[in-house]
Amino acid sequence: MSEKVVVIPCSGIGKTFGTVSREAAYAVVEDLRPDRTQLVALSLLVLGDEEARAAVAGHPTITIDGCRLACATKMVQESGLPVARSFTVLDAFRKHRDLKPEGISALNPEGQQLACALAKEIAEAIDALQEEA
Amino acid sequence: MNGFLELVVDKFVFRFATDRYYHPEGVWALPEGDGRVRIGLSDFAQQSGGDVAFAEVKPVGTALAFGDEVASVETMKTDIAVPAPVSGTVVEVNPALETAPEVINEDPYGEGWLAVIEAADWETDRARLLDAQAYLERVREVAEEGMRKR
Repeated sequence: MSEKVVVIPCSGIGKTFGTVSREAAYAVVEDLRPDRTQLVALSLLVLGDEEARAAVAGHPTITIDGCRLACATKMVQESGLPVARSFTVLDAFRKHRDLKPEGISALNPEGQQLACALAKEIAEAIDALQEEA
Repeated sequence: MNGFLELVVDKFVFRFATDRYYHPEGVWALPEGDGRVRIGLSDFAQQSGGDVAFAEVKPVGTALAFGDEVASVETMKTDIAVPAPVSGTVVEVNPALETAPEVINEDPYGEGWLAVIEAADWETDRARLLDAQAYLERVREVAEEGMRKR
């Protein structure tokens, strides 16, 4: 197994989809693939933080966006850094129509399940990226 | 398309195509000159609703009265029951909605159209709709009221 994969969720403050994005990221980094991933804050990257830039520049990066604005993906790319895979909460919801998320500070059960489903999908992508490496 | 009116409310910019009529609930109706009327969601309706996840339009052959639900649009935020802005029969449904419903967000007055209706009585229905300027004023009231409540 090779290098760690960087995971960057969108900020999405005050937005349900942003909360799902972040919950999915935490599930990946803390529960599903804790030894093989690293969480990087989008805000640090945008500020030009050297440590954050080095992490993204040196490792495959996965972005998780809440909505079609795709802030996480766009900001990583506009920082001149590559995105290996990108996911959106909207696409996850299209695959799991029964899991409509609600709530911001605390997701409803459906939202939590949606975050878990998205996290599993991302974990599989991490496995694939590390096999390719 | 002839052109657009624009309304700026706070950080939001809403556009209104001037070549068509509007149901007050945010559905546009564009007569195509052959008794057929193309319909879709206004820019304000699509921005208010947020990212579209699913869009389901009544099938071809469905007969509708003015105001009947012609489509349901499910976004990440809400479910929108889309009222028919014209009475008649559905003769065409936008096939893009099945695989790429986000086209409603991307191009609400163009590629994001919902359906074409063979109008039963367009002249009567048209009198119940708003032109772009009148609809803009309606939206201004709604949007500014929404801003005051925030």
